[in-house]
Amino acid sequence: MINGISNQIAIAKTAASTSTGQTTQQFSTFLKDSINELNNTQRASDIATEKLAKGENVEIQDVMITAQKASITMQTALEIRNKAVEAYQEMMRMQM
Amino acid sequence: MTIFQNMNITSSALTANRLRMDVVSSNMANAETTRGTYVNGEWQPYKRKMVVIQSDRSPSFSSLLHSEINKNQNNGVKVTDIVEDNTPFNLVYNPTHPDANDQGYVQMPNVDPLKEMTDLISATRSYEANVTVFNTNKSILTKALEIGK
Repeated sequence: MINGISNQIAIAKTAASTSTGQTTQQFSTFLKDSINELNNTQRASDIATEKLAKGENVEIQDVMITAQKASITMQTALEIRNKAVEAYQEMMRMQM
Repeated sequence: MTIFQNMNITSSALTANRLRMDVVSSNMANAETTRGTYVNGEWQPYKRKMVVIQSDRSPSFSSLLHSEINKNQNNGVKVTDIVEDNTPFNLVYNPTHPDANDQGYVQMPNVDPLKEMTDLISATRSYEANVTVFNTNKSILTKALEIGK
């Protein structure tokens, strides 16, 4: 129990000691990569749907599965965004 | 992405089962085809086709190493080949048929509609089962997004 707490303190210390510039950089790259990934799945879905509409050689189940993948990635991104906004608002409510 | 691994596997199974249905369609459509292939100047009847389904695990070194490291044994399925059934053709007595031989017999394809129908049912059920797997997987992923709500 005490060990656990001291571990957490150590983690907090290291987190505080890392430069803020580096952490924001990491978070922003992470965010950018995630949005890119989201965009890629959406585009793949669009391309597959267009191919199906044009009557090109594409399997209908592949189109559906790409669409579902895009939908799930979108929902995940939304969920992450909600959590981030929630955390931001929590910070804003802090009494100074 | 690893969260879509299951979906990729299901996708390969759906594609394989669609191909099985296509082969059944071809066999049923050609059940009466007496001129399937042209061999040595004479027509041979259509030969029944069958699919060879194989576990999709590419034998390349990197993929084998990767699967051993991750203990990742799950993999999709792939139709590797479509082979011909070499059972003898059915002989039907029909002297007026343009492809009848000197004795009046016609070689008909070795397609058994009963067999094809059972194959079709099997492929359909397999397809439905894989769709159910997909839906369950999707509902689990959506459920996971509700954690902490």
